[in-house]
Amino acid sequence: MAKILAVDDSASMRGMVAFTLRGAGHEVSEAENGELALGAARGERFDLVLADVNMPVMDGISMVRELRALDAYRGVPILMLTTESHADKKMEGKAAGATGWLVKPFDPEQLLATVKRVLG
Amino acid sequence: MAGRKDDEARVALPADCRMAAAPALHAALCSALARPACVLDGAAVERVDTSALQLLAAFRRDAVARGVAVRWHGASAALREAAGLLGLARALDLPATQPA
Amino acid sequence: MGASGLAQFQQVFIEESLEGLDTMESSLLALDGGGDAELVHGIFRAAHSIKGGAAIFGFPEMSSFTHEAESLLDELRDGRRAIDGATIELLLRVVDCLRGMFAQAQAGQPLIDAAADALRGELAAVMGRAAPAAATMEAKGGPGAWRIGFRPHRGMLASGNDPLRLLRELAALGELDVTAELDRLPALEALDPDECHLGWRLELRGDVKRAAIAAVFDWVEDECDLAIEPLPPAVPAQASVPAAAATPARTAREAGAESGSVRVSIDKIDGLINLVGELVITQSMLDTFREGANASRLAMLEQGLVQLARHTRELQESVMGIRMLPIASVFNRFPRMVRDIGQKLGKQVRLELAGEHTELDKTVLEKIGDPLVHLVRNAIDHGLETPERRRAAGKPEAGTLRLEASHRGGSIVVEVVDDGAGLNRGAIVAKAVERGLVASGEGMDDDAVAELIFRPGFSTAAVTTDLSGRGVGMDVVRRNVADLGGTVTVRSAPGRGSTFTIVLPLTLAIIDGLTAAVGDERYIVPLVSIVESVQLDDGAIKTMPGGGELFRFRGDYLPVVRLHEAFGCEGAVREIPRGLMIVVEGDGSRAGLFVDGLVGQQQAVVKSLEANYRRVQGVSGATILADGSVALIVDIPGLVRMQGRRRAA
Repeated sequence: MAKILAVDDSASMRGMVAFTLRGAGHEVSEAENGELALGAARGERFDLVLADVNMPVMDGISMVRELRALDAYRGVPILMLTTESHADKKMEGKAAGATGWLVKPFDPEQLLATVKRVLG
Repeated sequence: MAGRKDDEARVALPADCRMAAAPALHAALCSALARPACVLDGAAVERVDTSALQLLAAFRRDAVARGVAVRWHGASAALREAAGLLGLARALDLPATQPA
Repeated sequence: MGASGLAQFQQVFIEESLEGLDTMESSLLALDGGGDAELVHGIFRAAHSIKGGAAIFGFPEMSSFTHEAESLLDELRDGRRAIDGATIELLLRVVDCLRGMFAQAQAGQPLIDAAADALRGELAAVMGRAAPAAATMEAKGGPGAWRIGFRPHRGMLASGNDPLRLLRELAALGELDVTAELDRLPALEALDPDECHLGWRLELRGDVKRAAIAAVFDWVEDECDLAIEPLPPAVPAQASVPAAAATPARTAREAGAESGSVRVSIDKIDGLINLVGELVITQSMLDTFREGANASRLAMLEQGLVQLARHTRELQESVMGIRMLPIASVFNRFPRMVRDIGQKLGKQVRLELAGEHTELDKTVLEKIGDPLVHLVRNAIDHGLETPERRRAAGKPEAGTLRLEASHRGGSIVVEVVDDGAGLNRGAIVAKAVERGLVASGEGMDDDAVAELIFRPGFSTAAVTTDLSGRGVGMDVVRRNVADLGGTVTVRSAPGRGSTFTIVLPLTLAIIDGLTAAVGDERYIVPLVSIVESVQLDDGAIKTMPGGGELFRFRGDYLPVVRLHEAFGCEGAVREIPRGLMIVVEGDGSRAGLFVDGLVGQQQAVVKSLEANYRRVQGVSGATILADGSVALIVDIPGLVRMQGRRRAA
């Protein structure tokens, strides 16, 4: 099972993600903004990072860019959680180094399927 | 990832043989190219990615061109499955099954 | 995971496209009568969506075929080409061809269609160029076999998209044959392990849709060079074996999904959610009585129960409403059909449709098509006259055929009205006598004569045409309608036309009925069949020599059906003045059902007797009463028929 970092300023969203992934046996850490997430990611290496796009303090796109610049995170899957209305954000996130995206709203099954997909 | 005999390099692949391990693997393979022979040990590999397999493919190709004798001492199921999926099993000359 | 999700959308795409094709067809037919620019735009939009969707959802043949038609439509839209009958005819055939392709797609069959290739040639010829050869090539591609060229850009590995993962996903879709391209792999010393220097040539076999492959690459489309093209079958005979073996199971599954699902509007769902919310509120209100009731709270309890009853009823109606679909889907096939039949028979027909939005139960809707088609064919073939005869009769040359659906009480009424010659009394009587159905027409009123055409084996056509002469008569129409719990009748006026009226229940799942007591038993008499209930004196009954009983009702003598005799009930009322006569109508004739009395009116949820026991003559089903006991639902047409046979015997 994998070590996953869930980053979202919305507690409910973060909770749903963490709850679902823990239910599937993953070890989940939570962070409520990009800055806290970067701190956590420097402390230990996660197998997968799930990041909301719109967050206070440090938004998801900037976080992805900084995370991808870390040696330990080359090639590590980073998925953006984005809303469909922000289609341009997908491209912006890809340019910053994200692996892919998961479009909100998603249900637990979609989340697990996508996580399974990136973790192989 | 150190040489065992004087003339034979020995490169043991780590359990997590992915991009984060690639710089070390790259360095080990480059130095092995300067030796007359090399043994690759892939028995411990649990996770592997394209980055690592591409390094191994380049190493084997360059080793054969330079006359370096390369042989495998074990290849895990994960390693063989990945090489098969990427169409690199022949290029890597992986053993069909893991020796007992 | 991705595949099943995609299949869902594919199904939705097919449904949307079939609706689009219906729009195209009706707009084309409207154009035929001289239409406006908006119609052409509408047709173009429909074709454009089908083209785009087909490419996305893995039907490249359909996409390239529609593209040809779209080019022609583009010329019409720009005014570069005049709209003439031949062009409309050609585009109508395109619509038919696409319908066929969608049917193949739904059945999971390969979309190889000689008709499509021929039409493609015609379209190209009309536009003054040769048929595109590439499209034909594509159409010949093996079903679901693909050649994929995949070369990641250097940065793809760093973004976390490992080709190994992508190839693993592809391998899960079908049989994957992988050839790595190492030609760009630099010398080991110069190799940057963070960058991807490999490429792949892939062959994927199995029943794989293009969209499923595209879904694997969705995150990396900007990070690689990707080419997906259909793979021509290497050895056709070999390739066809697994395909043929795979088809039946797939067809069965998809056919099941098709008939087992209904598209429901958001409004209906929202209505349901609201009602359930109301129920929850009422339930919590009633829940407070767990703590005990006193006089002041009794009023509240009563109010709660009233609310509960109302919401339950509304919820039931809403849930039933989910099964209800507009009759437009059946009506829409008629403009084309009427046009074709009219042309074939040399008759001019003006079709009027009304009440297309009237909603019917899905099951009824699926089964009403055939009877309606027969009535429409019959009306054009036998009802409407040729232009010459109409002119001679002082009528407009074009006959009018009107299809109208409406709600009437708890029923749906569908009428097929023509302004033709009307039923030919002489011809009908002559045929009936010839067939031995009646001895003579003497003493028969017009309604009775009209009823003869519904008798088995009856056909009035002087010349059997290829349209109506299929061995299917009006008796089959009536039986099909009766199977749906409905009735069909005809009214006719010589020289002015005929009206066929089909009356159908709103739903097959629930009926409104009167509960009648017969001895210790309870029977449900469907409300639609009831004309009136009367109490009679002994003197009102006449006993016939054979033992049959008649009573006088509004100038007619109707047969008496004593339910206790028909069903063998013990302890029932036998004296006429002490019981009740329910006058019912079924299958065009009336009868009196003699019962002990009426217990009440209720909605009965119909349970199949056949499924739970066996078919019983005179009974259409059963229901469960409020006290938990079972009541049988009386099959009025069946009972009237039984009575008729008894009289004849």
